[in-house]
Amino acid sequence: MKFKIFRYAGEQSRYDTFEIEPEAGMTVLDALLHIQARLDDSLAFRYSCRGAICGSCAMLINKVPRLACRSQVSELVEGKVKDKVTLKPYAAIEIKEPWNKEDEVLVEPLPHLPVIKDLVVDQDKFFEYYRVVEPKFKPGDEHPEKERRMDPADMAELEKYTNCILCAACFGACPVDGEKPEYLGPAALAKLYRFYIDPREKDHESRLLQANMESGWWACQFHGNCKQVCPKDVPPILAIGKARQKLQEIGETP
Amino acid sequence: MHQYDIIIIGGGLTGLRAAIEASESGNNTAVISKVHPLRSHSVAAQGGINAALGNAPGAEDDSWKDHAFDTVKGSDYLADQDTVDVMCREAPSAVIELEHMGVVFSRFEDGRIAQRPFGGAFFPRTCYAADRTGRNLLHTLYEQLTDMDITFFDEYYVTSLIRDKGRITGCTALNIVDGSLHGFTAKATLLATGGYGSLFARSTNAPINTGDGAALAFRAGVPLKDMEFVQFHPTTLYGSNILITEGARGEGGYLFNNKHERFMKEYVPKAMELSPRDIVARAIQREVDEGRGFEDQFVHLDLTHLGAEKINERLPGIRSIAMDFAVVDPIKSPIPVQPGQHYSMGGVASSIDCSTPVPGLYAAGECACISVHGANRLGGNSLLETVVFGKIAGESMVKGVKNISAPSIDPVKSALKAELARIDSILTRDKGENMASVKEDLKNVMFDHFGVFREEDKMKAGIKQLEKLNERLSRVVINDGGRLFNQSLIYTLELQGMLLISNAVAQGSLSRQESRGSHFREDYPKRDDEKFLKHTLAYYHDNKTVIEYSDVTLGRYPVKERVY
Ligand SMILES: Cc1cc2nc3c(=O)[nH]c(=O)nc-3n(C[C@H](O)[C@H](O)[C@H](O)COP(=O)(O)OP(=O)(O)OC[C@H]3O[C@@H](n4cnc5c(N)ncnc54)[C@H](O)[C@@H]3O)c2cc1C
Ligand code: SF4
Ligand code: FES
Repeated sequence: MKFKIFRYAGEQSRYDTFEIEPEAGMTVLDALLHIQARLDDSLAFRYSCRGAICGSCAMLINKVPRLACRSQVSELVEGKVKDKVTLKPYAAIEIKEPWNKEDEVLVEPLPHLPVIKDLVVDQDKFFEYYRVVEPKFKPGDEHPEKERRMDPADMAELEKYTNCILCAACFGACPVDGEKPEYLGPAALAKLYRFYIDPREKDHESRLLQANMESGWWACQFHGNCKQVCPKDVPPILAIGKARQKLQEIGETP
Repeated sequence: MHQYDIIIIGGGLTGLRAAIEASESGNNTAVISKVHPLRSHSVAAQGGINAALGNAPGAEDDSWKDHAFDTVKGSDYLADQDTVDVMCREAPSAVIELEHMGVVFSRFEDGRIAQRPFGGAFFPRTCYAADRTGRNLLHTLYEQLTDMDITFFDEYYVTSLIRDKGRITGCTALNIVDGSLHGFTAKATLLATGGYGSLFARSTNAPINTGDGAALAFRAGVPLKDMEFVQFHPTTLYGSNILITEGARGEGGYLFNNKHERFMKEYVPKAMELSPRDIVARAIQREVDEGRGFEDQFVHLDLTHLGAEKINERLPGIRSIAMDFAVVDPIKSPIPVQPGQHYSMGGVASSIDCSTPVPGLYAAGECACISVHGANRLGGNSLLETVVFGKIAGESMVKGVKNISAPSIDPVKSALKAELARIDSILTRDKGENMASVKEDLKNVMFDHFGVFREEDKMKAGIKQLEKLNERLSRVVINDGGRLFNQSLIYTLELQGMLLISNAVAQGSLSRQESRGSHFREDYPKRDDEKFLKHTLAYYHDNKTVIEYSDVTLGRYPVKERVY
């Protein structure tokens, strides 16, 4: 099995191809670790948990933003591809780099963020947008002596959004983020929505208004790539749709 | 040169909780972490966090003293009962505080925080956020810090602690992104660097858990405590060793050997698959060692008889882990499992206020041994330890920096020179041993010789191999000579520390001629309170590991046999 991997060197960036024997259960992260340990120790990529929970390893694999540690190599080659993802096209994934889909896996850095080295991108902007939405719980009243009670029925909806691991796969999959770099992006808005629907929060409307701007809720064009690539089944597109509906209801549009 | 009042090394739960305390006090504070804080291993914790809230039906009588008793018993009486008291007494307010910060804990019908039963606990007292408790806690603490006055040095790797006239006064750190080396001074420094699971070939831990804090402290003359106590989890996924939670057996899963026998009946006929972790781990390892495993590697954890509905409802996380990482659907086929390292009970010796024997240095969380877990940790107690002692460490440092003047920068300058030389010697060497294979061999030696079963001859042979590895380490080369995001350089620095602390694990295991908790000696299968109701202290002197012992702090609970 071959791995065609983007190697960053400024103007001289290139692709290197490595051939390795795939073992049963091998993930793209396993393959990268193997290449780094045995074939080229200058290859760089981020990872930490290798269990799809820390959010470090999002990259573009066969032109789809995925977690390397959660991508089975055997399921990426033609004929065996299981989760067929069909993304709405955007500039970054249309860069033509031929690869042999039969026995090759193409690995590139996550789009829309500057490359530091090989598959490592600078996530500063992603986390800056995260901070823009003030992702800190703002409860309504003085802290009670014990926990604030929560209706278990409210939990399912909330948990959909607290499952986000801030991997930025959705950010790299969003056509709007590619064109409009000031767009806060799906993850930051999903985070904001998480606070908006938390029944323990004080001022729900003010949460909605926080992103009531052209680069916030209103930039989304509902391509839906975010929901497709999310490894944790978070649906940012639904949050954005509901937030906009509510804003329209209360007559608050930018 | 960066100058701070308080420096926290580590951005996991322990480090972030301490950071809140430090920053609220107005002290100039920095958090240094080798990965972005949200990528710390705390994020992976699944099961939950213990506190005697008494929310579960029938558990109204639960109290922190019951929690303390279970913890002491679980520890095989090696835990210090004063620190256990602090942890268990503070537990309810720590969990309520997390809820007040916004953690979305799972709830009972009445809206209170849900609590589930966990191994070794008399009452259901484990609070959880589905099977993603660590993620929820870590993200919430990080959110709390977003508007606080604190400086984060993300992706900075701490390479050494500065010791000046008997006091720790700062550290040096490599910026992983651009390869620059930085000096830091601090009036107080906290180690919150997590465990040393990566010392072992099979581990549920993230590969980044390389025990750096223990190595930093050891080199700086701080003793390591109880390093031989390493918890092995019975069921980790064959291949990646990702954790398959105890819940899978709790929900009724069976363990089968290659003869399709439920072999637990040979070991603990009553409790069967639900026996304590260490016992099940030894049983599985025994089956494999004696040829009754599959491919001489694993046994089967069979859930198929539970049916699709129950698996989907109760164990969805486990199903997706098995499908994503082993391409096995537990609804249709058994999961291949084997024992693997899971938790580091030992660590940097620290006292009830998280201070270490060397002034200016504090340690808390999994990298420390404040001894709340003794010889065996109970599930749900380590997340608790991170927040309770993270807070206490913060408070202690705030007290500790009062009336301390800014440390001299001269020792930092000479440390920077020494560290640059160390790094250069790695980067410029052009012939020698492949770094990755030395690391792989180390992990195998540790798992094979200091793993689930320990025995004198086996360990002595292991120590010989560690000596050889030490020689090879001095000749290790990497090809990447660049500065930019040079992971091979970081791995090499980590490896130097790993080999150093592996001596403490090895010598501690060899010297402890008894079996207690996770430490099982085939040649000494019984606990020996007469000789070994003691903490092990490992010191690093003249390039050698020296073992000493200190007393265990006893208290309310008399030492008894540990029977379940
Ligand atoms: C799979 C799994 C599941 C678990 N589930 C549970 C559970 O359900 N309940 C429970 O109570 N416990 C559980 N545990 C244990 C618990 O998660 C850990 O003990 C705890 O999270 C450790 O937190 P910490 O803050 O001490 O360290 P960590 O979260 O490991 O953080 C260490 C930090 O130190 C930094 N660091 C390390 N070295 C350096 C260096 N040289 N320079 C700079 N920074 C450095 C890292 O970047 C990181 O930020 C589980 C453990 C595992 C492996
Ligand atoms: S919403 Fe999903 S894809 Fe986006 S950052 Fe969160 S986990 Fe990643
Ligand atoms: S390494 Fe943690 S999500 Fe992939």
